[in-house]
Amino acid sequence: MAYGFQVLIDALSLGSFYALAALGIGLLFGVLRLINFAHGDFITIGAYALIVPSAATQATLLIGGFHPLFLIPSIVGIVIVVALISEFAVFRPLRNASPATLMIGSFALGYIMQNLVIMIFGGRPKAVGLWSDLNLGVQIIEGVQVPQLQLIIISVTLALMVLLVVFLKRTKYGVHMRAAAEDFRMARMLGVQANRVIMLAVAISGMLASAVSLLFVVQTGILDFRMGVPLMLFAFIATVIGGMGSLVGAVVGGFTVGAVSILLQTFLPSELRVFRDVFVFAFVILVLVLRPQGLVVSRSAKERV
Amino acid sequence: MQQQSGIFDHFRETWPLLILIIGIAVIVAVIEAVGDRIISQTLTEALIRLIVVVGLYIFIGNSGILSFGHIAFMMIGAYATAWQTMEPMSKDIFIPGLPTFLLENSFHWLPSTIIAGLLSALAALITGIALMRLSGIAASIATFAMFMSLYSFYLQWSTWTAGQSSLVGIQVTTTPWVALGVAVASMVGAFIYSRSRFGLALRSSREDEVAAKAAGVNVTMQRLIAFTISAFFVGMAGGLYGHFLGLLTVDTFYLGTTFITLSMLVVGGMQSLAGAVIGVTVMSFLIEFLRKSESGFTFGDVTVGLPANSSEVGLGVVMLLILIFRPSGLTRGLEIHWPFRPKLKATEVTQRQS
Amino acid sequence: MLLEVDNLHAHYGRLTALRGVSLTVAEGEIASIVGPNGAGKSTTLLSISSVLTPTTGTITFAGKTINGLSPEAVAALGVSQVPEGRHIFATLSVEENLLVGAAIRKDTAAITKDRERVFELFPILAERRKQSAGKLSGGEQQMLAIGRALMTNPRFMTIDEPSLGLAPRIVDRVYDVLLELRASRGLTLLIVEQSSERALRSADKIYVLRNGEIQLSGAASDLRDGEAVHAAYFGFSEGQEGKVDF
Repeated sequence: MAYGFQVLIDALSLGSFYALAALGIGLLFGVLRLINFAHGDFITIGAYALIVPSAATQATLLIGGFHPLFLIPSIVGIVIVVALISEFAVFRPLRNASPATLMIGSFALGYIMQNLVIMIFGGRPKAVGLWSDLNLGVQIIEGVQVPQLQLIIISVTLALMVLLVVFLKRTKYGVHMRAAAEDFRMARMLGVQANRVIMLAVAISGMLASAVSLLFVVQTGILDFRMGVPLMLFAFIATVIGGMGSLVGAVVGGFTVGAVSILLQTFLPSELRVFRDVFVFAFVILVLVLRPQGLVVSRSAKERV
Repeated sequence: MQQQSGIFDHFRETWPLLILIIGIAVIVAVIEAVGDRIISQTLTEALIRLIVVVGLYIFIGNSGILSFGHIAFMMIGAYATAWQTMEPMSKDIFIPGLPTFLLENSFHWLPSTIIAGLLSALAALITGIALMRLSGIAASIATFAMFMSLYSFYLQWSTWTAGQSSLVGIQVTTTPWVALGVAVASMVGAFIYSRSRFGLALRSSREDEVAAKAAGVNVTMQRLIAFTISAFFVGMAGGLYGHFLGLLTVDTFYLGTTFITLSMLVVGGMQSLAGAVIGVTVMSFLIEFLRKSESGFTFGDVTVGLPANSSEVGLGVVMLLILIFRPSGLTRGLEIHWPFRPKLKATEVTQRQS
Repeated sequence: MLLEVDNLHAHYGRLTALRGVSLTVAEGEIASIVGPNGAGKSTTLLSISSVLTPTTGTITFAGKTINGLSPEAVAALGVSQVPEGRHIFATLSVEENLLVGAAIRKDTAAITKDRERVFELFPILAERRKQSAGKLSGGEQQMLAIGRALMTNPRFMTIDEPSLGLAPRIVDRVYDVLLELRASRGLTLLIVEQSSERALRSADKIYVLRNGEIQLSGAASDLRDGEAVHAAYFGFSEGQEGKVDF
C-alpha cells in the first residue's frame, strides 16, 4: 500500500513535468500552428540562467543564490524574454510559412540555442545545488516518506493549470486567444490584434517553460546543454497522443506518458529497465497507430474529409 | 506518330543527373589532386553526408513529410557493417554479445555495407508500417520518437554496441573514391526512383493528399516505399562512416548529425536531387570555412579566431536565413535541365502535326 | 461615398478572380452584389476587409485608403464582415463569441449594453447565451455572426450570402433585422447574395458581378422590373435571350 502510494506520487510528479512542458508546446501550437522544437531549450536556458557563466563543472550560483522572491521572477522573466526574442527573430518572419518550414525553423532555433549554451558554459554537464533540502522526505501517511519536492511539483503544476484555465475562460485576452486558436482569420476580422495575442501566448509558453526549468534543476541537480531535449520530446509526444490542438489533451497526454514511464520503471525486470525509454516510445507509436487523432479529440480538428 | 527517341533525347532527359555526377566527380578529382590528407578526409566526410542527404531527399523531397529520424538508420547501418567486418578478436573484447556466427567471422566491407543497408531498409519497413499512416506533423514527431528510441536502445545495448563508449578497431577502408562511388549510386537510385511511377505517385500526395487518394494512390504504401529505399542508402552511408572513422560511438548519431543533414537538404532545396547535392556542397564549404575561422588566423604571435562552436551557431543562422528568405532552398526545388531547346527540323515538325 | 472600391484586380496564384471591379456605397445605403458562383463576390468582400491583398486597385473607406492595412486595423475603422459560412467560434459560448466581437472596444459598460441589445434583437441567442456556439442551428449561427459583427459597433457591415443554407422564414427575419439596423442606427450595408430576387427587394443599389467583372449596376428601383439583371447574371447579351454566351 505504501509502495503503491509512492509509485502514484512518482507518476504524478513525472507526469506534472511532462504536462507543464506539453502545455507550453500545446499553447503555441494552438495559436500559431507551430511545433516549437526549441521549447526544451527554453527550459535549458532557464536552468543555466541560475549560474555564473563559466565552464567549471561545479557551478556557482548567481541568480540561483538570490532569495526565492527575487530568484523566481528573475528566471521566469529571463525565459519569457528569450521566448519573445524567438518570436521576433524566428516565428514572426516565418508567420506565413508552411508547417514543415515552421518545424525546421524551430529546430534550427533550438540548435542555435544549445550551441550558444555550449559557447558560454562549455559542453560538460555541471552539478548545481539549488534548494536541495526540498529533496528531503516528508511524511504523509503511515510509513510513507515522500520527497517534499514531488509534492511541490504536483501542486505547482495544478496551480499553474488552474491559473491558465482562469485566464483562458475568464479574461478578455484569454477568450481572444481561444478564438484566435480556433479561427485566426476570423478573430482578426473582428479586430483581435494578431501580434498581441501571439506575443501573449509566447510569453505564457515561456513562463510554463521556466517553471519546468526550476523544478527540474532542484530535482536532478544537474545542468547539461541537452537536458531539454528528452523533455521536449516527451512533451511533444504528450501533445500528439493527447490530441493536437487541445490543451486538455496535452495535460492528459503528459500524465499518461508520466504514468507509463513510471509503471515501466517499476514493473520491468531489472535487465530491461535501462530500455525503459524505448518501451515508452514504442507505447507512443502504438497509440498513434491505433488512434492517430489522439486520445482527446479537439472540437476544432482540422481538415474533415 | 511516334517520335523516335534518339541518343540525344536520352542524354537530355538524364542531364539533370549527369550534371550532378560530373560536377561532384570533378570536385573530387581536383581536391584529390591538389589537397593533402586532411582535406581528403574532409572530402570523404562530405561525400558520406551527401549520401545521407540524397537519401533524405528520396523520402522528404517526394513525400513532403519531414523525417527527423533518418540518422537512426545511419546508425543501424554503421553498426551492422561493423558487426560483419571487424576482426573476431576485437569483437570478443568490445561487443561480445554478438551471435557466434558474427563473432567468429569477418567479412569484406563491400558486401557488408550493402547488407547493412538492407538491414536499415528492413528497419524502415517495419517502423514505417506504423508511422507512414500518419500525416504531416504527427508523422514527423513520430519519426523523431522512433529516432530517440533507437538511439536510447543502442546506447544501452552495450553488448552489441559498446554502449556509451566507443567501438574501436574498425578497418579504415573508406577512401574518397569509395565514398564517391556509393554517392553516385545513391544519386542514380534517387533519380530513377523520382522518375518512376512510384515517385510520381508519391509527389502527387505531397501536393494534395486528399486529391491523390481520390485518384487511387495508396499514399501509405508509396510513403513506405520511399521510406525504405531512402533508409537503404542512409544505412550504407552509416557503414561507410564507421569505416572512415575507424571507430563508432552511438553519440555521433544524435541531434548534431540530424540537424546538419537536414539543414543541408533544406538549404539546397528539399524537393530536388540538385537541391540535395548543392546543399551539401555549399554547406560543406561553409562549415569548413567557419571551422577554420574558429581555429583562428595567426598574425605573428597572435591568433585571432571565432569562439568555439561558432560554426554550429553559424550553421543554424544560415538555415534560418534560408527559411525566412528562400524557403524553397537555393535550387527552389528545381533540377538542372539541359539549357538548350532541341532544334526541330522541318520534316520533324510536319511529322508531329499529322 | 462611405466606401469606394476602384479598379480592383485580384489573383489567386495564376487564377484571376477580379478584373477591375469598381463600386461605391453611400452612407446609410444598402448595396448588394449578386452573381453566380465563382464570380468573385467573396473575393471582393475579403479584399475590403483586407484579408486578401488585391494585386492593384484602391479601396477607400471614409476617405481613408484601407487596402494594405491589417484586417484588425480595418475592423478598428468601423468595417465589419459577416463572412460566408459564418465562422462562429464553435468552441466558445454564445456570450464569448459576442465578447470577441467587442475586441476593439474598451468601454465595458457600453459593451454590455450592446450585448443586451443583440439579445433583444435575437431572443433565441439570449436563451442559449452560455451554450457552446457549435451547438446552434444554422439560422441561429447566422444570427450570432451578425450579432457578433454588430458588437464591433460598425459604421459599415459587409455580409456574404446571409441566406445560404437557411430556411426562407429565417432569412426573412435576418433581412428584417438588417433593414431595421439601417433605419435605427444608420448602418451602411453591402450584402452579397446569390439570389438576385431578394437583393432586388431589400437593397437600394445592385451590382451584378460575373467572371470577376461588374456587368451591370444601378438603382434597385430601376432594375426591379426588367430583365437586365437576369441577363447580366447569366451572361446573355442584349436581345439574345435563349442563347447562352460563355
